[in-house]
Amino acid sequence: MGIIKTIQQKLMAGEFSCTELTRAYLDAMERDNGSLNAYVRATPEDALAAAAQVDQKLSVKEALLPLEGVPMTLKDNLCTKGIETTCCSNILKGYVPIYNATVWDILQKQGAVLLGKTNMDEFAMGSSSETSCFGGSLNPHDLSRVAGGSSGGVASAVGGNLAAYGLGSDTGGSIRQPASFCGVTGLKPTYGAVSRFGLVAYASSLDQIGPIAPSAEDCAAVYDVISQYDPMDSTSKGALGPASPHLEDGLRGVRIGVPEEYYDGVRPEVLSALENAMAVYRSLGAEIVPFSLPELKYALPVYYILACAEAASNLGRYDGIRYGYRTEHYNGVHDMVCRTRSEGFGKEVQRRILLGNYVLSSGYYDAYYKKAQGLRGAIVKGFHQAFGKCDIMLAPTVPMTAFPLNFTGADPVETYLTDICTVPVNIAGLPALSTPCGCDQDGLPIGMQLIGNTFCENTILAAAHQYEKAAGQYRRTKWGVSL
Amino acid sequence: MVTREDIQKIALLSKLSIPEEELDGLTADMQNIIAFADTISAAGDLADPDFDNINDLSNAFREDETVPSYPQEAILQNAGGGEGGYFPVRKRR
Repeated sequence: MGIIKTIQQKLMAGEFSCTELTRAYLDAMERDNGSLNAYVRATPEDALAAAAQVDQKLSVKEALLPLEGVPMTLKDNLCTKGIETTCCSNILKGYVPIYNATVWDILQKQGAVLLGKTNMDEFAMGSSSETSCFGGSLNPHDLSRVAGGSSGGVASAVGGNLAAYGLGSDTGGSIRQPASFCGVTGLKPTYGAVSRFGLVAYASSLDQIGPIAPSAEDCAAVYDVISQYDPMDSTSKGALGPASPHLEDGLRGVRIGVPEEYYDGVRPEVLSALENAMAVYRSLGAEIVPFSLPELKYALPVYYILACAEAASNLGRYDGIRYGYRTEHYNGVHDMVCRTRSEGFGKEVQRRILLGNYVLSSGYYDAYYKKAQGLRGAIVKGFHQAFGKCDIMLAPTVPMTAFPLNFTGADPVETYLTDICTVPVNIAGLPALSTPCGCDQDGLPIGMQLIGNTFCENTILAAAHQYEKAAGQYRRTKWGVSL
Repeated sequence: MVTREDIQKIALLSKLSIPEEELDGLTADMQNIIAFADTISAAGDLADPDFDNINDLSNAFREDETVPSYPQEAILQNAGGGEGGYFPVRKRR
């Protein structure tokens, strides 16, 4: 049973109160966050106030809403009214939103208990969470390894049992990659399924909010609540229907596509874990369908061109005038804006802004941005044709397990290459999840990626749930709260 | 080939000040990244010139009606409260 259902059953059975549970999480954060650096801000007063309301309901035997009373966390790029939201960037230090992200509005109405805001790569630009101005989050399975990124703090908190679940954002793999590294499950929903209102924008045509949790069942429970149409997001569509009722759908006759391009350059232990997963799926009655998706070889450069172009535009708003950091000394408005941005943004963010403006500039626009948009169309078409041959796809989440600390950064292109398996679905707007499927010789988790057709989250969540029941590879770490 | 001058020009457009001692390293990084981005030039006519957006999205319009907004004080609170209802910017500091 998933952790969300377990907590709610124990709350309703009176095994502990919501206040006691919340205090246990807050105490564990106090004890363990110094090691994991998962949280950048605890919100104990808000958490205990929310818990008290849940206890009030429990005292009169009122039924709980689906996520009510479950302690959770939010990535620090989701706006929380009255709670500082920094994107782990010096340029937003001190910024206190005056409105909530829609997802947090929904969860607050559900009686969610927010324990705090979690660490991330600065403006979600990175694969290790080490570009955070607060320093990187560490991997709960091995403190000499990164938690991944950019939602490294959420994955570290969930993998370290410092939250039952959390919401992250995924622009090119930022939910799935840290979920893979930390041995938990992370769902990147279809573009448009979850409102992006109140998510600090990185690349608006690629960004999507989703859950990270110990199991597919938990991710389904969160997805079912947050996937609502929102008029405040012009690209919002909502979900076709809930995923949880489909978790027990059998896999007999389901065609699982294996696009060969995803498996190029994958480390042998990762490949072996994926082959074992294929064997499990065969034993559950699914059919494995290998094929080629040649458009994928352009996915990574297309992603970096488009993401950086959108980032350069989105991050133009940080001028030091209306919110966030402003430089101390300057001579004129232009100088003030330049100094503010240069002092406030970290090096990776500045590099991506420069790249974005380069590919958008006159003389290069056609060769880079316009060409990349056209190739995005070809990749979308390639995926749609591939879904004529299969129902879901199976691929590695990352070609390797968690990096050692300080592995990324020296050569930006080498770092970007580690995103090779995750960026294609963002380009195509498809849903995908990562769930644990084994570990390497050092005991580090390996994640497998299940990719679904547009708005078919139910198919991949069911496939992950069935795999977990047959051969689940989730391993609890020594940190945090033991229920 | 991306040059130091290109980086300086793009930095100006981006409203970023790149310290002189970082220019060579940044130019080298950008040359590597652009060389990587150049791999899309091998795609020939694979690109779909008519591609517009994913998932059949269309623009969302609403009626042009005045609706309640945030109070001015709330908007200004992240700028130190503002001055006289404005965001203050001195000529120099």
